[in-house]
Amino acid sequence: MNNRLRELRAAQQWSQAELAERLEVSRQTVNAIETGKYDPSLPLAFAIARLFGQPIEMIFDPDA
Amino acid sequence: MDLPNARSHRLRGCALASLAYLAATALSVWLLKDVIADAPTSLRAVVSLLPLVPIAYAIREVLRLVRANDELQRRIDLEALATAALVVGLACLSLGFLVSAQVFEIKGGTVLVWMFPALSITYLLARIRAQRHYR
Repeated sequence: MNNRLRELRAAQQWSQAELAERLEVSRQTVNAIETGKYDPSLPLAFAIARLFGQPIEMIFDPDA
Repeated sequence: MDLPNARSHRLRGCALASLAYLAATALSVWLLKDVIADAPTSLRAVVSLLPLVPIAYAIREVLRLVRANDELQRRIDLEALATAALVVGLACLSLGFLVSAQVFEIKGGTVLVWMFPALSITYLLARIRAQRHYR
C-alpha cells in the first residue's frame, strides 16, 4: 500500500523521530510505513490522518 | 516513560536477570553436589528450583516490554516467537526420532533444562532477523 507519509512529514519539517513521538510509536515504525514495508493498523492510520488533518484515503492508497 | 527509554529499561532488566540466572544455577549445582547431596528430597527440590527466581523476573520484564511496544514491534515479537517455537519444536522432534532410533542417547532432564535457553536464544536471533526485515 502506497502512502504520502514522507511527503506530509517533510511539509511539516518534522524528522522521523519527531513524528514517531507525536504518534507514540517507534522511529522504526514511521520508517517502515514510509518505505511501504509495513501497513499501519486502522487506529494508527486514523491517528496519522488526524495529525495531518486529512482523510485517510488522501494519505493511504490501497490500490497502488 | 517514552518508547525507547521503556525498551532499554526492560532490556537492562532482562540482562540483569540472565546474569542472576547464571549465578543461581552455579550456586544451585554447587549446593546440590557438594553441600546438600544427602539432604532430604524436599530441600534438594527447593534448591534445584533456585534458578527459576531470576527467570520469573525475566519473564515479567519481557511481558512488560511487549506491552510497552508499539504495533510494529509487537508484530516483530510475534514473528520471532513463532519462528523460535517452530525451530525448537522441530529440533525436539528430530532429537526424539534420533533417540527412538537409538542413534544416540540423551537424558530427558537434559532436554528439559535446555528447552528454555534454546527458545530464548532462537527468539533473539529470529527477532534480529525480523527487525532487519522492517528496517
